[in-house]
Amino acid sequence: MSSARDSILNAVRARTPAPGVHGDIGKAAAALIATPSRYQPQFDQQGNLERFIAKATSERVTASIGRVATVEAVPAEVARYLKDCRLAPSLALQPREELTGLNWTGLETHPGIAADEPAALTIADLAIAETGSVVLRSGPDAPVLMNFLPLHHIVVLHEELIHRHLEDVFGLLGDGPAEQPRNLCIVTGTSGTADIEAVNVRGAHGPRFMHVVIVDKP
Amino acid sequence: MKQSPHLFKENAKRALSDPTLKTALRRTTGLLRRRRAQVIADYPEYAAAREAAEKIKDHTLENLAHYLEMFEANALGSGAQVHWAATPDQATDIVVDICKAEGARTATRVKSMLGEEIGLPEALARAGVKRIETDLAEHIIQLADDPPSHIVMPAMHKTHEQVAELFRAKHADPAATDHIAALVESARRELRQKFLDADIGISGANFLIADTGSVVAITNEGDAELTTTPPKTHIVTVGIEKIVPSMAHATVFLRLLARAAIGAEITQYTTFFNGPKRQGDADGPENMHIVLVDNHRTEMLGGFLQPMLRCIRCGACMNHCPVYSAVGGHAYGAVYPGPMGSVLTPVMSSLQEAGDLPNACTLNGRCQEVCPVNIPLPDMLRSLRVRQFDRKLTPGMARIALKLWGWLAARPRLYRLGAGAGVLALRLWARGRGRIRRVPHAAGWTRHRDLPAPEKGTFMQQYARKKRR
Ligand code: SF4
Repeated sequence: MSSARDSILNAVRARTPAPGVHGDIGKAAAALIATPSRYQPQFDQQGNLERFIAKATSERVTASIGRVATVEAVPAEVARYLKDCRLAPSLALQPREELTGLNWTGLETHPGIAADEPAALTIADLAIAETGSVVLRSGPDAPVLMNFLPLHHIVVLHEELIHRHLEDVFGLLGDGPAEQPRNLCIVTGTSGTADIEAVNVRGAHGPRFMHVVIVDKP
Repeated sequence: MKQSPHLFKENAKRALSDPTLKTALRRTTGLLRRRRAQVIADYPEYAAAREAAEKIKDHTLENLAHYLEMFEANALGSGAQVHWAATPDQATDIVVDICKAEGARTATRVKSMLGEEIGLPEALARAGVKRIETDLAEHIIQLADDPPSHIVMPAMHKTHEQVAELFRAKHADPAATDHIAALVESARRELRQKFLDADIGISGANFLIADTGSVVAITNEGDAELTTTPPKTHIVTVGIEKIVPSMAHATVFLRLLARAAIGAEITQYTTFFNGPKRQGDADGPENMHIVLVDNHRTEMLGGFLQPMLRCIRCGACMNHCPVYSAVGGHAYGAVYPGPMGSVLTPVMSSLQEAGDLPNACTLNGRCQEVCPVNIPLPDMLRSLRVRQFDRKLTPGMARIALKLWGWLAARPRLYRLGAGAGVLALRLWARGRGRIRRVPHAAGWTRHRDLPAPEKGTFMQQYARKKRR
């Protein structure tokens, strides 16, 4: 449909001001976001960890939080969570070495994810204090469906990966297409819907529960 | 969807006498307005964000060709295929051809108003592709065979009692109770396997990121990822105005969109899609197609309607519109209802066909006030009315009345004399009761309420009296 392409671009050009030098367009675009602190929600009184926990556990986001000192303590915290939720001691495990290399004695773990998987454990690549969100990238060791099919989504988050604002996280990713994962998902709590009478209900299609296990800074 | 903006008056009349619709609208719009007010009050930087958003959109629109080409190059670089469609038919032909080439029988779909705008559901049906709507509201209206009535909550016109009845009739394993949570669970059960079995996943996009070639889709339900990950092919249909320069620019809108639409700081899922599955990836589609759609958008550039292209489809203008809140979305007979729809529909159909829409407005200004990108909706509606008048599309009686009024307004002395006589007549008619129950030729007004009798003297007479004192 190259003819449609040309006709659209020509129509656009005919109705917009004559193009400046491309470098100037870039400069003008950068100037528009030169002082993000003007429009970013400010929370000077709170540190990143404190803000993250406050937002993630808020009424709208509805995640729960577990804290461990080292990553070795994650299996025990996961076992406790499953027991408290009266779930079987079994879970889908994201095929990342950091997780598979842990001692899972007492828990059954599997790499695949079933359509009605009760619980899955994945690693957060980054997190955002502003909104209480975790950032999950896809990859060979990170199937996207593992974040969406389980009823309980358990996420391991290293405290030092919590950044302040949305922009800070994007800044770390780089802005060429090559630096992006195929799928980059900012997840803020559990799947929800307000589609019936605007009433908020959890567990629409994705997880109904999210538990974030924060590993203290070394 | 089938469009019938020319039937607005009849549709509105029917809507006004539907008690269930009234209940549904009261339950939803009030809640959405309160939630939005709260989350905006908690965001002192809102005014600055709104200003930044407006400027970013204006900058992008002024350099639209540059950004479209940049987006195209980067999306191609990520392995996606990019298509261009000037008209809805071109767009649906592209989608249908992809489906046919893949021998697709089923397609899951994430809610996208652009999909409705170009008639994608109908085109898929004609091509024999079974469409499975995955957004809960879209699922409801698909089962009910209703058109959407709101751009964020397409099933706003349904009460939970109606949804329960619908699910009992149509779901394989319906809920035992009418509780909203049980209804949501029932839809989850119904759709789960369908997500995994679909041949094609179709989505829209909330933003296109020029410098990365990313397609951004936001949902609260998580259905975008469940729709686009398992099938072999992901097709995106998106309007060309959805583009922003970079991810950092997009964040300004992410903060505003969720706040304005549902009263949340951010939606639960914000996903950046960058092309098809990569080598070694655990999952994801093998093909990704992006269809860039014009459909009259370029015509709006450079004219008085250009600011409409800033719209991020948050729905706040309709939630705060007294006309929308009274008649609901279906009365507008178009994909886009409410104030933004009353501007867009005449562009996308014709001013003649959609002539009632710019007039279904009290010009109270709430829509612009709550619009996160400050679109001057009332000004645009007024301009559309002027164009109707100029093109002689305004009905005869109204034309004569407006002409008469215009003639009078240009003659202050005569105008004041007339206004004074009018006030006197109405006060006499009220016979000192302060209220007027019936006015000849104004039953439309007085059937549902009394007309208050005017103050003594016109504004100008009172003003003159005060000044003398
Ligand atoms: S016109 Fe403004 S308020 Fe209405 S949907 Fe668009 S962005 Fe939202």
